[in-house]
Formats: sequence, structure tokens, C-alpha cells
Amino acid sequence: MTTITTSPAAVAPPRRARRYMDRKSLVPLLLFLPPALFLFVVLVVLPMVDAASFSFFDWTGYGPMTDFVGLKNYEDVLTHRHFGTAVRNSLIVIAVSLAIQLPLAMWVSLALVEKSWGVNAIRTLFFLPYMLAEIAAGLIWKFVYDGNYGLVPTVGDALGTSLPHVLGDKVWVMPAIMLVIVWKYFGFHMMIYIAGLQSIPSEVIEAARLDGVKKWQIVRHIKLPMIWGSIVISVFFSIIGALQLFDLVIPLSNGGPNNSSHTIVTFLYQFGILRMKLGFGGAVSVMLFIACVVITVVYRRLLFSREVD
Amino acid sequence: MKKLALAAMLSVAAILPAAAQETVDWMHIASIPEEVALMEAAVAEYEAANPGITINMQFLENEAFKAKLTTLLQSDAAPDIFYSWGGGVLTEQAAAGVLRPVEDLVDPAVAEAIGAGGMSAFTRDGHVYGLAQQVSEVVLWYNKALFEQAGVDPASLETWDGFLAAVQTFKDAGITPLAVGAKDKWPAHFWWSKLVVRLAGQDAFDAARKGENGGFAAEPFVKAGEMFLELAALEPFQEGFLAAAYGDASGYFGDGKAAMHLMGDWDYGAMKDNSASKAGIPDDQLGILPFPTIEGGAGDPTDTLGGINGWLFHKNAPDAAVDFVEWYTSAEVASRFGNAGFFIPIAKGAADNMTNPFKVQIAQSINNAHWHAIFFDQELGPQVGGVVNDISAELAGNALTAEEAAELVEEAAADIR
Repeated sequence: MTTITTSPAAVAPPRRARRYMDRKSLVPLLLFLPPALFLFVVLVVLPMVDAASFSFFDWTGYGPMTDFVGLKNYEDVLTHRHFGTAVRNSLIVIAVSLAIQLPLAMWVSLALVEKSWGVNAIRTLFFLPYMLAEIAAGLIWKFVYDGNYGLVPTVGDALGTSLPHVLGDKVWVMPAIMLVIVWKYFGFHMMIYIAGLQSIPSEVIEAARLDGVKKWQIVRHIKLPMIWGSIVISVFFSIIGALQLFDLVIPLSNGGPNNSSHTIVTFLYQFGILRMKLGFGGAVSVMLFIACVVITVVYRRLLFSREVD
Repeated sequence: MKKLALAAMLSVAAILPAAAQETVDWMHIASIPEEVALMEAAVAEYEAANPGITINMQFLENEAFKAKLTTLLQSDAAPDIFYSWGGGVLTEQAAAGVLRPVEDLVDPAVAEAIGAGGMSAFTRDGHVYGLAQQVSEVVLWYNKALFEQAGVDPASLETWDGFLAAVQTFKDAGITPLAVGAKDKWPAHFWWSKLVVRLAGQDAFDAARKGENGGFAAEPFVKAGEMFLELAALEPFQEGFLAAAYGDASGYFGDGKAAMHLMGDWDYGAMKDNSASKAGIPDDQLGILPFPTIEGGAGDPTDTLGGINGWLFHKNAPDAAVDFVEWYTSAEVASRFGNAGFFIPIAKGAADNMTNPFKVQIAQSINNAHWHAIFFDQELGPQVGGVVNDISAELAGNALTAEEAAELVEEAAADIR
């Protein structure tokens, strides 16, 4: 992570904080930062400030905001009878992503990192679901799960039993959605791990082998520590992605049956936007934003720092 | 002289494009191909008769339309003319000033043809914001072949007790009694609404809206929930009904898999379109039952539940938009759709030549109604209507008590009173 420059300062490397004072890096900074910063402010920061300001008003989305209600929207969200379910479901998605999806991705990537016949085809196959649009994936799986005409009842018939209408069943709907999430995203994490594994110098592995280190020990003591950075990133994507889960759930279950499969974002959409209670929706989004920021900051403190050092 | 000529040329140039080319964006939610073809033919005819005006048809699917409309109407991409169920959503839109009041533009003859009921459905605070085109009613569609197979006499469903007995008979015969698309929630809310129409009637409903006598937590509303639960306890709906959207349920009924479907008159066409064969239930096997009457209910037996739907004008809509809708909702044009069985036109005389026996029967029942209640989820607006939809789907799934259901509706209603 060292910067190679020809300036005299490079002779005695300056401290990190002083690097930007360097004239040579100031010019590209002034040249390249403003467009990105402008887009970020217009497309990210301003809408966020906007949403935060809704959250203090009782507003239907039509016309100007006039009815200031203070923190009432926040109170309404916290006491809403389906908010707890939505939070619980989002936490389940995080837990399953971390406990099942990532280990699966790691396992597959360890198997597929060596170049041999057919490996590329299998990798592509596992990566394909990730390239599919979320809505399309949701619709495909809705047909698979459809209790009357889908694949599930066909399989049930073949087995001689009748399988439940999973998307209409409070018990089965979340596992059904989780299966789609794992199917869709594990290929993405697999790719991150493969890239990490490929960057490990082969001499290290070879040396270990010559020393008689067992396969599992190589994985545990050499491969995993050496791709720590990739793991940190993929866990982070997993958590933030789970908190923002929306477009798979809408075509699959639309938050049903009876609002039992809402995530925080589908909850926001259903009870904020569709009900024309944008203040309520704004309050949900502010809380979600704060949760994401807190997680990011804590996570960076705990894990990213270790990677940098 | 030269200057004058130039000025004249410029002014002509300024006027010409406006007169020569005017585009009217028209957003509809019709999805049946034959109906859309009729609409396209009407547009072609209008454009031919009014050179310089282009009607630009835009389609959004029903659920997407409801979800996007709020944002759309406040954006530059707002359609000039768009579909509306009237009700509380219209009240919000009018209050927000996104609609164009057109009372000064509408030809009195057109208003006369649409009638007082139709005009008032699209009037708020003395301003006319749109024109009604069609009336609809929620009825109990039934499959005669399945009734025969289970040995159920349709006449026995006249009362609620008879209806419950029939549901049980179907269950015993291994036939799904009722289809419902509870994933979309609004199909389930027809059950709660019809029970409220029977039990509360117009007076108690209006009183509840104002918050009198305990509002929606009052006795008839709790009772409606109890009777809905009584029905739900028999497990009358198709398997997986909570995961079924309206189209799924409509197709399930159209495929002849359920004995009854409580749905609007539009399901006559939709049931065919959604069925696997695209033919649906043949006309001679299809019947309409009135919703069972309930002993001691305050509602009038003639009361109906349905809609008065039509077209609203966005605040930036040109005069041509109003002219087009006047023509499009007129008896001359609307009767084509009525005769083809797509909807029941509201304009006087437009429904006279309808040959579809189901639509004729429904038109008569709306005409004779003491109270034509507008779909509750539209009438009460999205905040309260959304809750009515929620609790209805939950009652259908036996996941809520009747008291809780009534309390939740009242809570939402009190919030906006």
C-alpha cells in the first residue's frame, strides 16, 4: 500500500495525513473529485436529507409539507404491529447469509480455485444467478414455488405427497425466500473468495506442502488468513445487502402471507409509500440509515483496521 | 413593412405547431387484449376526426399503477388523462392541486348523460375533476356445473346460514368452495365490505366514518369480522390462497376449480383471460348470485358494492384531453365496450343494447340499489383502505380476532379524522 512517486518527499516517506498536501496529488484531486462529489451530493446526500425531513411531517406525498408532528412518526413505526416482524426477518436474512451462504461460497471457491477441466463452466453456472435481475429471479422462483402449477407440486406429486404452498404459509415463506437469496448471491461471494485465493503466491502453499502440512491445515492456517481482506469485504456486503433486501421479496411473497415476510425495506414500501404516509416511510428510512451507519463504523473499527495494518 | 411581415410570419410559426400538433398522454390499466384493441380503434377514430391531436396511450398494470401514481402525478412525466376509482384517493389528489378542475369545460349535455351520481363521484368541493365512464359491482360468480356435481341448490345460498351450509357441502364433496386472491389483499376485502354493507348499511357506515358511535369499532363492524371468521373457520378458500394474486384466483375459478368467486363484474372477461384455456367457464355454466342476506342486518337487501370509475385530468392537461374523454365516455363509444362485455357504461342509453346477460343483470341491480357503496379501500383512502385490506386478508387466514380487526380500522380512521 505504498505510493510510488518521484517527488523528493518520497525519499523520506511523509506521514499518511500529509500525503494530500503534496502538490502533485492535489491537482488530480481538484480535477477528479468534484464530478463524483457533485453526483454523490445530488443523488445520495440530498435525497437522504429530504427523506429525513419528511419524517417529521404528516405528509401524503401530495403538495407541500405543512403538518409538523415532531417525533410522532418514529413512535408510530416503533409501535407498528408489523415492524417487529420486519426487523426480525431482516436479522434472519443476515444470520442465514453469514451462517450458510458465506461458508457455502467459501467451500465452493476452495474447490473451484484450481484451474482444471470444466471449472470455468461451473463457476459461470454458479455466478449466473447473481447476474439475473432481482425481479426476474423473484418471478422465476414464484413460478417454481407456485402451489398449483409450479415445480414444487410437481415434485410433490412425484414423491406421492402434497407439498405446502410455501409462499402462502407463514412457517415456510421465510425459508423459501432464504433459499432464493442463498442461490442468488452465493456465486457473488464465491467470486470474491476465488479472486482472493488466486492472489495467494503458490510458493507459500507449495512450501507448506513440502513441510507436510495437511490440506485442512493449509486452508485454516494459510489460505483463510491470507484472504482475510476478501472475507471482511464479503461479510460487509452480506450484512448491508441483507438490510436493504427488497426486490426479491416483492415478486415472491409481497411481504405476505399476512405481512409475515416483510423486510425493513418492504415494510417501508408497503406501509409508508403505498399507504401514502411518506412521513412514516421517512422515519423508517432514517432508522435504517442510522443502523447501516452504525454497523459500518463499528465494522470498520473492528475489522478493516486489521486489514490495513 | 418588412418587419411587419416578419412578425406576422413569426406569429404564424408560433401558432401553427400548437394547432398542428398536440399530444395527449392517456394512462390506462386495461390488460385484456381485445379491450385494448377496442381502445386503440377508438383512438384512431378520434385522431382521424381531429387532425393535429395525438392520443398517446400508456399502460401500467393495476398494482404498479396504484404504487406509482403519487410520484408520477408530481413529475414531468405525468399523464394528462388517467384512470381513477374516485373515493379517498381522488380527495387527496384534489386537495393537493395535482388535478385540473374542468367544470367550465364540460359540455352540460355530457354531464346530463353521465347523470348526477356519476358526476358527483368525480366532484370535490364543487369542482369537477374527471368524468365517470363505467359502473361496476362485486357479485358472487358461481360455476353451475360444480353446484350440480355437489348437489347444491343456488337458491339455498340466499341467507348467510344457507351459504355456510353450501360451503360445507362443497368441502364434503371435495370441491374448493371459494377462490380468493389474498396476496393482493383487496380481493379479500370484498368479503369484509359485503358483510359490512349487509350488517351496517349506509347510515351506520357514514356515521362510523365521522367517528360516531365508536366509529369502525362499533358493533356491526365487529360482527362483520366475526362472520368472516365463521366462514374462514370452514377453510373455504383454495389451497395457498394467501400466496395467490387476483389473477391467480381468477384463473383458478376460470379453470373450473372453485365453485364461487366474489369478484367485480370485470371478472367475466378476466376469468377467461386468466384461465389456462383462455376460454374460461362457458356462459351457460356461469351464474351470478346476490350476496347472502343476513338476518337482523341494517343494510337494505338491494345495496350493492362496487365502483364508479372514470378518467381524471392532470393539472397540465390540455383542453383536448377533456374533449377526448367527453367523446370516449359518451354512449356512442362506451356502448361498444358494454356490448363486448368489458364494462357497464354509465352514460345514459349506453347500456341499453348490452346483450351480455350477466352485464345486463348487474346493470339492473346497480340501478335498483338503495346504496351503491364504493369499494372501501378506495372510498376510505389509502391510509384507512390499506388497513381494511390488511385485516381482510388476515381474517381470511384466521390470523386476527374480529375485535382486533375493527379496532385497527378505527385506529387508522381516527388518525385522519
